[in-house]
Amino acid sequence: MSEAALIDAAPLGRSADAPALPLAPLGPDGLDRYTRRSLRQQEIEIARRFHGGTMWPYAVCALGGFAIWLSFFPLAIMGQLNLPLAFVVSCFLATAGYATSHEAMHSNIGRPGEPGRWLNEATGFVSTIPIVFPFSMARLVHLEHHYHCNHPEKDPDYTDEAPNAWAAIWKTWYNRQPRVDGTIRRYKRCLEELGTPASARALKETLALQLIFMATLFSMAWTGHAIEAAAIWWLPRHFALTYIRFYLSWAPHHPREGRTGRYENTYIFKSRLGHFMSMCMETHLIHHLYPGIPNHRTKEAYFALKPILAQRGVDVSAM
Amino acid sequence: MEKAVKALFSIMPLLFGLGFIAPLIAQSMARLDWPAPFGLSQIAFGLAIGGIWGLYANIKGRWV
Repeated sequence: MSEAALIDAAPLGRSADAPALPLAPLGPDGLDRYTRRSLRQQEIEIARRFHGGTMWPYAVCALGGFAIWLSFFPLAIMGQLNLPLAFVVSCFLATAGYATSHEAMHSNIGRPGEPGRWLNEATGFVSTIPIVFPFSMARLVHLEHHYHCNHPEKDPDYTDEAPNAWAAIWKTWYNRQPRVDGTIRRYKRCLEELGTPASARALKETLALQLIFMATLFSMAWTGHAIEAAAIWWLPRHFALTYIRFYLSWAPHHPREGRTGRYENTYIFKSRLGHFMSMCMETHLIHHLYPGIPNHRTKEAYFALKPILAQRGVDVSAM
Repeated sequence: MEKAVKALFSIMPLLFGLGFIAPLIAQSMARLDWPAPFGLSQIAFGLAIGGIWGLYANIKGRWV
């Protein structure tokens, strides 16, 4: 025992090996408020280093990917398209589009008032068209998900909850059925309840995009291009929605019930498909803590924040 | 306008069955060189399947 420790312990009449008396009441995480504040300050300092960075590749990927996907339609009609290859590419673009739109939802490509704002909005706008999910709706419901993460009534994504991975994959399909109170119906209800001009606009844009989707499928089908329409829009959309809802909603938040706290509403997990193929969702907790950190930097930020997260009670054993 | 759109969406599964599934079935059969049963044309068979399936989805609220 050091001399200093003996001196510190002496006035209290306690052994220096005894646990220190807490200076403030302990919270449910076993930490007093001074410790929590200190950890939060350290956390913010570290997280600050990972905000921002080069974001234009997101815009290039989104706009380029959309242009490629759009070109498939005239090429398919002219019979100039390798359909199996176009199907695979369309599945990838429809799925990856959510990642680029996600950055735009959080204004990470350009904040209001910044010169790059138009690029942020353009990126968001085109990214989710292949999955028939207008950016205006996507942004509003996603922010509601952040505000009320894992709340059974208020989190618009709560319908993705399922007891295991296979059930979750099945649920993504089930939630798309016409009269099931799943994803899109819940999103529409969420926007109606918000009752703002932005949510009213989002609802109108949702209807418009759904009508465009149906009109495109019907007109292509009745002009002899039903298989092409299925291969470049209908089936890729279903594939992408299943993949996105599984990896971006179910996997990082399961189990959801009762887990609404800042450090418990999202999990660190190891994906069988790896970090890139899981759309960087292994470290989605970092995104929920700091949405301004771009998706591709959450893993790096996680390892920097790991000791603090461990002290906050986060299970960091997965990676 | 809003009412018309809502009415349209209320029968969307049926419309989808007739408007997309039917020609998709017919063109898939043609691509695979499968004849339609009961002496029907491929598009008539597609319309029958697509129409019944769409109607089922409209009534039940699910495709399966």
